[in-house]
Amino acid sequence: MINNQMLAAHESLELHEALNLKTLNLAKSKLMQGLVFDQELKDLMQKDVEQSILAINNLQAVYAKAPFQAPVPEFRPTPILN
Amino acid sequence: MTFTETDPIKMDYVDPANAINMPEMADMTFALDFLIRVKDGVRYSAIALTETISLDARALLYAQLHQGIALHQEITDLMVRKKWFHPHELHEQYQLDNFSANNTVAIAKMNLYPEDTRRKGMFDRTPDEHVGGNQA
Repeated sequence: MINNQMLAAHESLELHEALNLKTLNLAKSKLMQGLVFDQELKDLMQKDVEQSILAINNLQAVYAKAPFQAPVPEFRPTPILN
Repeated sequence: MTFTETDPIKMDYVDPANAINMPEMADMTFALDFLIRVKDGVRYSAIALTETISLDARALLYAQLHQGIALHQEITDLMVRKKWFHPHELHEQYQLDNFSANNTVAIAKMNLYPEDTRRKGMFDRTPDEHVGGNQA
C-alpha cells in the first residue's frame, strides 16, 4: 500500500518546510501573547498555539516516513554551550 | 536640542504623548501580523497539497488547510469588529495603512538598542567555539 511506504523525496521536503513554518508560527504566537493588550486577540492566539501543537505532532508523525529520517536524541548532540 | 527642517524629530521614546492610543496601535499591528501568518499558512498548505501524493500527508495537509481557513475567518471578523481592519471602507483602510507605516518608520529611526548586543562573556564558554563559529 502506498500510504504505508516511505515518502517521496519531494514530499519529504514539502513536509520539512511545513514543519518549520508551523514551528516558527507557534513560537511567534506564543511570544506575541505576552505583548498583546486585547484579551480576545490573546485568546485567538492561544487557540492557534493549541492547534499548532497538535499540527506539529501530526506533521512529525508523517515526516518520520521521510527517506532521510534518523533517530532524534533528547538533547542537541553538540550543545551550543559545550 | 536642535531640529532641522529636513529631518524633524517627531517621536521620542520618553515622551508620554506617545503612550496615547499605544495599546490599540500595538494590538492592530499584532493582529495584522497574526492574520498574515495564518494567511501564509493557508497558501502554503494549498501549494504543498499540489505537491503530495501520499494519502496520510494529503489528509493532514487538507485538514490543516481547512483549520487555517477557519482561523483566518475568525481573525478577520475580530479585526473588523475592533476597527483594526476596514475591508469595506477603503478610504479608512488607506489612512490606516499609511498611519501604521509612518509610525513604524518613526519608531525604526529611534536608537533603541545598545551598540554591542553580542553578550559574549555571559556564557560559560564562547558559543560555538568548538566548530569555529566564533571566527565566522
